[in-house]
Amino acid sequence: MSPTLQHRVAVATQGGRVVSRRDFIGNAAAAASLAGSAPWWETLCASADELRTRRKACILLWMQGGPSQFETFSPKPQHPNGGGVKALSTNVPGIEVSANFPRCAEIANRLAIVRSLASKEGNHQRATYLLHHGHLPMASVQHPTLGANAARHLGDASRHLPNYVRIGGPLANAGAGGMLGVQYDPLVLGSARRPPENTRPPVEGERFERRLRLMADLQANAATGDEASAADHPRLVAKAAEMIFSPDMDAFDIGRETEAVREAYGESEFAAGCLMARRLIERGVTFVEVVHRGWDTHLDNFAKSSELAAEVDQPMAQLVVDLEARGLLDSTLVVWMGEFGRTPRINPRGGRDHYPRAFNGVLAGAGIRGGQVVGATDPSGSEVVERPVTVNDLFRSVYHALGVDADHENVSRIGRPIKLVDGGEVVRELFS
Amino acid sequence: MLQSRRHVLRNGRRHAASGRPWRGAVGLGIVTAMATALAAGPAGAAEPPAPREAAAAVDAAIDASMEAAGGAPAPACDDAAFLRRAWLDLTGDIPTPEHVIAFALDRSAEKRGAVIRALLDDPHYGLNWARYWRDVILARRIEDRALAVADALEADLSAWLNADEPWDRIAARFITAEGDVREEGATALAFAQDGRTEEFAAETSRIFLGMQLQCAQCHDHPYDSWKRGQFHELAAFFPRVGVRPVQTTTRRSFEVFASDRPLGRRPNNENRPQAEHRMPDLNDPAAPGTTMAPRFFLTGSRLPLGSRDAERRATLADWLTESPWFSRAVVNRLWSELAGEGFYEPVDDLGPERPLQAEEALEILASGFAANGFSLKWLMETICLTTAYQRESRGRRLPDDPAFTANVAQPLRGDQLFNALLSTLDMPEPADNGQPRAARNATNFRRRFGETFFYDPSDPRETVAASIPQALLLMNSPSLQQRISGERPTWLASLLAETDDPEQIIAEIYLRALSRPPRDAELATAVAYLGESPRLAEGAEDLCWALINSAEFRSRR
Repeated sequence: MSPTLQHRVAVATQGGRVVSRRDFIGNAAAAASLAGSAPWWETLCASADELRTRRKACILLWMQGGPSQFETFSPKPQHPNGGGVKALSTNVPGIEVSANFPRCAEIANRLAIVRSLASKEGNHQRATYLLHHGHLPMASVQHPTLGANAARHLGDASRHLPNYVRIGGPLANAGAGGMLGVQYDPLVLGSARRPPENTRPPVEGERFERRLRLMADLQANAATGDEASAADHPRLVAKAAEMIFSPDMDAFDIGRETEAVREAYGESEFAAGCLMARRLIERGVTFVEVVHRGWDTHLDNFAKSSELAAEVDQPMAQLVVDLEARGLLDSTLVVWMGEFGRTPRINPRGGRDHYPRAFNGVLAGAGIRGGQVVGATDPSGSEVVERPVTVNDLFRSVYHALGVDADHENVSRIGRPIKLVDGGEVVRELFS
Repeated sequence: MLQSRRHVLRNGRRHAASGRPWRGAVGLGIVTAMATALAAGPAGAAEPPAPREAAAAVDAAIDASMEAAGGAPAPACDDAAFLRRAWLDLTGDIPTPEHVIAFALDRSAEKRGAVIRALLDDPHYGLNWARYWRDVILARRIEDRALAVADALEADLSAWLNADEPWDRIAARFITAEGDVREEGATALAFAQDGRTEEFAAETSRIFLGMQLQCAQCHDHPYDSWKRGQFHELAAFFPRVGVRPVQTTTRRSFEVFASDRPLGRRPNNENRPQAEHRMPDLNDPAAPGTTMAPRFFLTGSRLPLGSRDAERRATLADWLTESPWFSRAVVNRLWSELAGEGFYEPVDDLGPERPLQAEEALEILASGFAANGFSLKWLMETICLTTAYQRESRGRRLPDDPAFTANVAQPLRGDQLFNALLSTLDMPEPADNGQPRAARNATNFRRRFGETFFYDPSDPRETVAASIPQALLLMNSPSLQQRISGERPTWLASLLAETDDPEQIIAEIYLRALSRPPRDAELATAVAYLGESPRLAEGAEDLCWALINSAEFRSRR
């Protein structure tokens, strides 16, 4: 499929022709529920175009390992399970966060803290998959991950930069384009301090252009055995070349920010990632995931959590403030989360183990009402006692904030329609 | 077979990684031998069909179905196209210029058949197809840690395929596997699904029977007449299987294991063994569900509740491999890989109610395959000998056009493309340098390349899209660029030292990269380009770059 077609509905067309009757039937069946007299594909394309004009975007701050709720956004200083971590008042009366997050405390009026997330998956692999896809893994279905669905519905194919970028290296079970195809896979950067791989042209620009011309000239007489697909190939190469010579590539260079801006974000690798995320969003990238690792604190939870939080707190707060100052917060959803929380009971090694029954997520921007806490746990932090939020509820809310229809059905390889989210409800409080 | 020294050296090194001891599965041999004997018919029956004979019958059947549909066949492909196709299909690599020239000069009428047999005897045949099945199995992994089995799978399967171990026996190995996933490649199917009952069952059926019952996991099948209960009866062959970590002082791994000890009630479909499989109650997911006895949906054969795991899985392997769908599934899949289009499409969604093309041709191949003791080499040789396989390639046909009028061009799998690059640029197989496993996976060029160019081989090929990172890698990767240089000690530098005749240089680059001489128009374009280049070496580098980045290089026509 040519890259220019990437945001069309996947009708299994190639060069304008339907290439697989089965796929076509599968898609038609999936679309049969859509009302309206226009052909179903036009309906879908039209709504996708409309969404793009609003240009919603999302930054996912992913805390790999499962951050402890007690040492982040649900401090329990009154209870032995709290482990002695202090609570900090925020700029919103009545809302407290852990003392590990002083900068976020100053901007709590922009944040919605969800303290009642709950799932049943206490294993890193499955939980990482679940909190990235809104589905559990299944052999028969290659679910697109959240970022891929967002890129598919909101991304602008005419831009030079990829619509989905993951900063911080490959992340197991975090998913990719899945049944949407590789064109929705994230561009993965190991570090925000280096340009993406293979984006430096091997020869200078003029010679590079000569090479491209030579390739195109030779293409005309090549023996590919499939001229229609071969004709798409130079377009792909041209698009890749456009990207690396595009002025937008400097979005990947945080060195272009002033010293003051870089200092405001902080010095950690994660800070560099957040700053690059903001630069990418400014250039129209739809979805950026910034990965922060090390939250699996089975040992020595308190010292570790405090160190990890020190790397996250400042850049996270600064990212929200910076987006706001640039007028981007209204259209950019920022999500902070990990795959689960950690046990209320402190283990003999001073650590906390996996605990999916009650954990935290934080949202900001894109219509989220800040300055609120959703849900609560009991004093011991063991059980959700107020406004439980399932993973499906969370994903519905995220898609809602982005203006993506969570009931949209992707069609699996064997014609099975799969909704972006099965069940669950939008957490209305987040938006009111 | 002509092999340049360079090629033998590199291939020897490439293969050394898979030279691990072969472990036979004691106990299954007799059952398998019986099934093979049954498939071959009563003693004293006619000899099983030889490849050439079967190929002729397949062609007759295909021609008949093509004529009925009003199709006109494409001509036979030329020698260069055939050689590159057969090399890529069978050994996963491209021929050297020496091979191409020797083949073109060979006047023997039997030369195509001889090359096919020689390639099937090359150890890279096993390695190539082991990598293919590795991709098939691991593409649908439900957890990325399943990649830990990849090396053992590649090595074991490669040995079995090179020894032409019968496909029914290989299937039985996967279905009945136990052991450490870093040592027992056959654990891949179970481990890719984390030992989970329903997923292991679904993948067993999908891969070995080409049937996907898992739609029936939650409701009766929408297109076929499979019922929900039938899927869960199939799952009932697998509940006692689990996956657990194994840790020694030196390393961490996982093992696929089974347990017949009575276990407490556990949630269904977990990665720990339970006594019996239970079909969930859709109206009340929290309820324990209905206990299911193992029953094979294609024949209705059943085992009692309480059967031991070893009996459940070995019996299922017997029943499954005796089914005609077992042969049809692999024949259909390999035909699709080699001829470019399956009798049934997609290759993992067959069934009695599904439409198919040229049914008689499929049956000739499937029965001949079974009669030849499920020999994959017999099957490969037969398919490659057909006129249908040896036709020129065309783009994928429109849905209403007749099938099999031409071979179909296909994108190379990651490993094939990587091999083609190593051969073209004279690069050594990337070495692991004794690094720890994690570092190796992150840095080994073949692995990173494979990730970038990965696609699920079970996917219909027309849905496989090329990506921007793929284009960037071929355009800009420093590891490749330094091998394109005309100034370092590279093959290109040696070529330029030997001759400064642009036409010779161009012909050599074409032969290396595309396994064919340039066409007149291409030669004219390239001669003009080299003439305009500031230096000859620069022009030659650019031509090499342009060919490696071409659509033709990335595909097999």
